[in-house]
Amino acid sequence: MLKYIWLVPLLPLIGAAINGLLGRKLRFSEPLIGGIAVGSVALSFLISVAAVYSYGFGGHAEWPRPYLTSQDGFSFDWIPGGAVSVNHGAEAEAAPRFALLNVEWSYQLDPLSSIFMLIVTGVGLCIFVFATGYMHGETGFYRFFAYMGLFMFAMLVLVMGSNFLMMFVGWEGVGLCSYLLIGYYFDRQEAANASRKAFITNRVGDFGFALAIFGVIATFGSAQYVDVFNQAKSYPIELLGHWGVLSWIALGLFIGACGKSAQLPLHVWLPDAMAGPTPVSALIHAATMVTAGLYMVTRTNVIFQHSQTMLLVVALIGAATAIFAATIGITQNDIKKVLAYSTVSQLGFMFMACGVGAFAIGIFHVMTHAFFKALMFLGAGSVIHGMHHEQDMRRMGGLKKYMPYTYWTFMAGWLAICGIIPFSGFWSKDEILWKAASTTHIPLGWLVWLIGTIAATCTAFYMTRLMAMTFWGRERFLDKPAGGEADEAHASAYDKGLAQHDAVYPSAGDRPRHEPGEHVGPVHEDVAHHVATHGHVHEGEGHGHGAHVPHESPPSMWVPLAVLAVLAVIGGLVGIGPAFRSVTGSEHPGGRLHIVSWLDPIIWNPVTREFNAPEGGHEAAPVAETAAPAEGAAHGEAGASVYGNTGFNLAHSVENSTHSELATEWIFIIISLVVAGIGIALGFLFYVWRPLLAGIWAQRLRPLYIASYNKYWVDEFYGWAVTRRTMDAARAVYAFDSKIVDGIVNGLATLSRLFSRIVGGIDKYFVDGLVNTIAAFIMRLMSPLFRAAQTGFTQNYALVMVLGLMVAVVLFFARDIF
Amino acid sequence: MILSGYEALFFWIFALAAIFAGLLTVMARNAVHSALFLISSLVSVAALFVLARAEFIAGVQILVYVGGVMVLFLFVIMLVNVGAEERGTEEIFNNQRQVAASLIFCLLLVGGVLYAVNKGYRGLQEQNRITPEAAAAQEANRDKSLAPSATGSSRITNDSQSLAASLYRYASLPFEIASVLLLVAIIGSVMLARTLRQEASADDVDPETLKEEMVRDPELTNLEPQSE
Amino acid sequence: MIMFNLISPTLAFLFQDAPRSGFEQIKYSAANPDLAKFLVIGALLFIIGVAGVLTRRNIIVIFMSIELILNAANLNFIAFSRYLSLTGDPDAIAGQIFTVFVIVVAAAEAAIGLGIVIALYRNKETIWIDEIDLLKW
Repeated sequence: MLKYIWLVPLLPLIGAAINGLLGRKLRFSEPLIGGIAVGSVALSFLISVAAVYSYGFGGHAEWPRPYLTSQDGFSFDWIPGGAVSVNHGAEAEAAPRFALLNVEWSYQLDPLSSIFMLIVTGVGLCIFVFATGYMHGETGFYRFFAYMGLFMFAMLVLVMGSNFLMMFVGWEGVGLCSYLLIGYYFDRQEAANASRKAFITNRVGDFGFALAIFGVIATFGSAQYVDVFNQAKSYPIELLGHWGVLSWIALGLFIGACGKSAQLPLHVWLPDAMAGPTPVSALIHAATMVTAGLYMVTRTNVIFQHSQTMLLVVALIGAATAIFAATIGITQNDIKKVLAYSTVSQLGFMFMACGVGAFAIGIFHVMTHAFFKALMFLGAGSVIHGMHHEQDMRRMGGLKKYMPYTYWTFMAGWLAICGIIPFSGFWSKDEILWKAASTTHIPLGWLVWLIGTIAATCTAFYMTRLMAMTFWGRERFLDKPAGGEADEAHASAYDKGLAQHDAVYPSAGDRPRHEPGEHVGPVHEDVAHHVATHGHVHEGEGHGHGAHVPHESPPSMWVPLAVLAVLAVIGGLVGIGPAFRSVTGSEHPGGRLHIVSWLDPIIWNPVTREFNAPEGGHEAAPVAETAAPAEGAAHGEAGASVYGNTGFNLAHSVENSTHSELATEWIFIIISLVVAGIGIALGFLFYVWRPLLAGIWAQRLRPLYIASYNKYWVDEFYGWAVTRRTMDAARAVYAFDSKIVDGIVNGLATLSRLFSRIVGGIDKYFVDGLVNTIAAFIMRLMSPLFRAAQTGFTQNYALVMVLGLMVAVVLFFARDIF
Repeated sequence: MILSGYEALFFWIFALAAIFAGLLTVMARNAVHSALFLISSLVSVAALFVLARAEFIAGVQILVYVGGVMVLFLFVIMLVNVGAEERGTEEIFNNQRQVAASLIFCLLLVGGVLYAVNKGYRGLQEQNRITPEAAAAQEANRDKSLAPSATGSSRITNDSQSLAASLYRYASLPFEIASVLLLVAIIGSVMLARTLRQEASADDVDPETLKEEMVRDPELTNLEPQSE
Repeated sequence: MIMFNLISPTLAFLFQDAPRSGFEQIKYSAANPDLAKFLVIGALLFIIGVAGVLTRRNIIVIFMSIELILNAANLNFIAFSRYLSLTGDPDAIAGQIFTVFVIVVAAAEAAIGLGIVIALYRNKETIWIDEIDLLKW
């Protein structure tokens, strides 16, 4: 099955093409469109599973070597390039040589891309199924699945490509699909703005990425991963303070990752991207697209590990992003916005992991995050659907009994994200924090750990808040009617103080149809009574009544939730940490099933300066990676690692006091569980036991509250500093062009006209006058002379004849006379 | 071709007569006098023709030129001349400038003649090596073949015969053309000399001109052709 | 200079040929006129005719002067005809033939010309040539 992996990106593309090109023309029914889309993704998923199985566990398993489809013939010359001059950076003593740059289109199946293939197709399958239920009734049903299929294609090209340029193609493709899908409700100004913002912010990152690719080609002479990394691994490591060519490349790559994965300062697009339909948020902005940055960083971990400065940058930015977004998420009222900021924060965690050198753990967190974040997004979508497109959490509450499936699955996601053992989130997040504390790649590891722990606390707090406001407590939706424009992206209109339901914009698609100015009054008692007697009331008698009573979603929506919930619960078991080796018997139990072992072949080991050998006995090099520095510290050797003296190491200092590595690890586990518990407890306190406390503390910490609520005014700052300054520059250039350049042109034209008038005048008066004068003069002079010959006197003419005769005579004798 | 003896005498008489008559033709006040002087000039020239052994031409000159053309001239003079010159009311000669220019040109022409004589004199001289006696003997030789005249004192020359022989043999085409020319002249002169009445009666007047002329000459209406 | 060139040959012309002294020379040349004298006579007649054409006001007299000119030309022809016949040219008679034609043409031209004069007289009532200046500007 390995040689058919080229079908994996192709099938969603074909499905998207069929849906997009024929869906409206041939008027496909919704089941047909959904069937084509889901079927194509399901096929891709099955092929991926089979391929990964045969890659890693089959009879002729290729693992740990990367498998390129060009081995089995699937590869074509995509860009038959020419010679590029290659500058070897540190080895610049050698004259720059030339390499033949031939970029081919072939897929690579290796440990990293296999994980991503499974995540993208598997989670994508769940989301596709959910979307068939969620988008029911939309007039643009076909368009949605066409774009989603296109997205799947682009994402799979990104993760399966065998060279940087294919990754870039997929990178841009997912950016494009993100734009198309965020702006799916294209008649909404907010959605259009958000999609533009997403694309442009992405583009800023892409600029850095493109420069990094150029640097890669210029330094290594090739774009293929296998070529580049084989060359890169023998380069010298650039320590902190030394900035070389690999640091430049890493910088460009990380700028791209910031844009795509919404890190500080390019995070601004992700919360606004919630204007798209919820399945889009789930797929693109939780599970797959935003993790493309992580994929890229891990793919190029050779380059990153050669640059200690960049590792520090990555870790610090990841940490900053994590705490930044977490503090914003505490105060948001839109359920999707909370999840968005949570995503940004968790991405920060992932980058923290990469920054401290734990690339495999970062990927592990990508996986678990995909499970529980997609789960929670879909759950939020189910809630929104059930609440008839109400997104403001302040008008929810007590949905536990109305939407049980949604509730229980969401709870699984909640526990996972808070990091409660044994849910998936715990394993990955805890490992990240342990690696941050014990890292020898960069200094300030302790700071990263501290910030991560605080961010974890905040995470637990706001997720509990979300659960409380949405599922527990009083049913607030019965108090006030659905305020503001009951539309997908305008739940925050409640803030505008529209108490009654006064729709401002007409809604499109399947959203509740409210004409502008239509007045929707408060709920009547008989409706509440109706709810009590009949279980639920479904609005069917027009849209003139009050609050919508929520209902559970159809099976097409809650079944994927259940699948994802199961994954969120047990998905972490592929990454059971070394702290549990007393229980599991090994550092990384499960052989190659353990994610760290699985990913070993693509992680570069700075100590051995080679890619890690696969774990045969699972106690070899990866253990050496963490064991050697630990032993070195235990033996009192600070800074025995290749990265020099990295300063204070928290783990080592704890270990120095406990004299046991295991105990150290368990201490950190306990710490992270405790902080998660503190966060949950605070959440319960503020939102379940004492709801009034939330308001009181918001007042007490008002400056902080305002700052957090307004997202630290980052958008406003960008608007002032970047957007408006660019518009000023555009206006200046326009003024220059219209006044000066056009002025010059117009002035030249005027000068030409003036000149022509002058010349015309000269010609008319001077030249013509001269000619006329001369002609008149000649006439006046000569004509009397000529007239004088016409005497009319015949004998004059005879006289002339005689004269002529004489002349003839003279001429006759001329020779003799003269 | 030296003339001698009486021929020379008569040559000089007639030559001077011709020149004198010609001069008087130009200078006579009365046109009729001019015509008569021209006649005498023409007769003198005819006599010179005889001396040059061109008797036929001399006869033709007197018959045609004098007898025809000059008579015609006299008729026309009678028709048009009003004798104003003789009365003295009209000038004979043109204005002074014209006359002066003419005389200058004529003197120049005379100069030209003298020059030509100067040029051709020697060549001509070579032709005249023969003495008058030898020339007379040559003449007498030639005359032997001629028929004697009725009176027997001289010979009848064969000028007419030789002229006719050449004229009708070698110049017959010009002869015919000359006759056509005379025909044209006859027609032309008849046409040119018609009066308005004659033209109107022959229906040969432009209608507009006829209308104009009828104002002046009412009798024209009688002569209008009956046909439209 | 020219005068000298003109006068001396003239005298030589008059005193032609044989070296006789003074008056006998003149007598001899005068007593024996030859071709040259005919030509001179003709030329003089011609010049007189030209002078008449250019000078007189009366149209008829002008016509008569033209007849003089034609006559002078005839004399020239006949003189040469005689001269050439004496030197043995078989085409000597051509001069006389030409003269015949000149006379014919002169007659025709006189007829036409006088017809024109009459027509002119009828229209303009004048025979003075300086009064007929319709072509004057």
